[in-house]
Amino acid sequence: MGLKFRVELVWEDETDNASSMYLTSDGRVVLQGRAISPAERDALALPEGGEMISVDRNLIRAIKEML
Amino acid sequence: MFLKNHWYVAASLSEVGHTPLRRIVMNEPVVFYRTEDGTPVALEDRCPHRRVPLSMGKLVDDGILQCHYHGLRFDRTGACVRVPGQDLIPPGARVKAYPVVERYKWLWIWMGDPALADPTKITDYHWLDDPDWGARSDYLYAQCNWQLVNDNLLDLTHLAFVHETTIGNMALVEHAAVRVQRTPTGVQVTRWIIDQPAPPAFVKIGGFTGNVDRWQIIDYTPPSFIRLDVGATPTGTGAPEGRRVGGIEMRNLNAMTPETETTTHYFWGQAHDFQPHDAAVTERVFQQIKTAFLEDVSVFTAQQNNIGLDPGAATIDINADSGGIQARRIVERLYADEQALVNAARTAAE
Repeated sequence: MGLKFRVELVWEDETDNASSMYLTSDGRVVLQGRAISPAERDALALPEGGEMISVDRNLIRAIKEML
Repeated sequence: MFLKNHWYVAASLSEVGHTPLRRIVMNEPVVFYRTEDGTPVALEDRCPHRRVPLSMGKLVDDGILQCHYHGLRFDRTGACVRVPGQDLIPPGARVKAYPVVERYKWLWIWMGDPALADPTKITDYHWLDDPDWGARSDYLYAQCNWQLVNDNLLDLTHLAFVHETTIGNMALVEHAAVRVQRTPTGVQVTRWIIDQPAPPAFVKIGGFTGNVDRWQIIDYTPPSFIRLDVGATPTGTGAPEGRRVGGIEMRNLNAMTPETETTTHYFWGQAHDFQPHDAAVTERVFQQIKTAFLEDVSVFTAQQNNIGLDPGAATIDINADSGGIQARRIVERLYADEQALVNAARTAAE
C-alpha cells in the first residue's frame, strides 16, 4: 500500500522537544509512547481493558500547543 | 491584527529616491524619500495641519519635505521647521518618523516602538544580494489579509490545484509525508522525496543522470517571513543528513507587509545557486515562479471577497493546514504579548 498524505507534528522549545505526533489520512492522531505492561497495570492499579501507553510530559505540552 | 514591533519590508531600494513615495503600512500612511546623501527617510504621510499627504509635496532642501497644500516644512526627524507666514511653529507640529534600514535590496521599516527597533532582528534574506547566488525580487499587491498569504505558502498541497499547469503535482496531495516542526522561533514544514527520478526541469538545470534526493523546506519566521528551500542532489550523497553536494538549490523568498486588514504588500524573490551570474537563467527561473504566484494572487482576492461577505462563516481545517495553523497560533501569542506591552506603557503614562 502506497503512502497516503501524512503529517508529522514536532514541537520543541529552547531546552526540550517532544516525540512526534502523526496526523493520518484516515483521521487518526497517532502518538508515540511506551506500552503499559500487565505488571505495571497491576502495580499502578490501572483499569483493565484496552491498550494503554505512557507518554512523555513534553508530548502532552505539544498536544496542547499544536492540536 | 497587526504586529508592530517587528521589521517589515516597506519598499525595494530602487523605489525610494528623491521623489516622495507614498505607501500605507498597517493602516498608517508613510512617505519615503532620500536625503541628498542617499539616506532613506520614512515619515508619517499626513500633514498635521490639514492632513494632506506630504507625499503630494516636494523636497525643497536636504531632507526637508514641503507640504503641497500650505507649504509647511518638515525635516527628516518629522519636526516642522517652517510655517509660511508666521514665526511661531505650533506645539505638536510634527509627524511621526519611522526607523528604516536598507538590507537585501529592500528598505525595512519598524512601525512599533522605536526604542525596540534592533536591526539585528531583521530576518535573513541574504540570498537576494549574495554574489554566490543569482536572484531577482519583485512586488505583488495582494488584495487579502496578510495571514492568508502565510497560510498559502505554508501549505504544499495547493500546488496540485492552483498551479496545476505550472508547478503542481498531485503526488504532493495523495502520497506525501510532511513534517511540521514548531520551533522556538517559528515553524518549519519539510518534505523529502528520496531516491526518485528528478523532474524534467531539474534534469535540465542540474544535469542529473540518475535518481535524486529532493527536499522542500518551508521556514516561517513570524510575523510574515517565509523562505522556501528547494533542491536536489544525486541520491545517497547525504543531503538528508545536511551534506548537499553535486546538486542544485533554490530559495523562494517571501516577505509580506500588511497594508490594511484586507490588503498586503507582497515582496518576494527567487534565488538559485546554479549559473548564478547568468542573467538569462535568473530571469527564466523568476518568470516561472512569477506565473505561479499570479495564480495565487487571484485566489487571495476571491478568498478575501468571500470573507468580507460574511467574516463569521464557518470554516474547517484539514491535515494540510498544519503549518498554517501553527503560524497563526504564534501570531496570536505575539499579538497578546505586544498588546500587554502597549497596555503597560499606556498605564504607566497615565
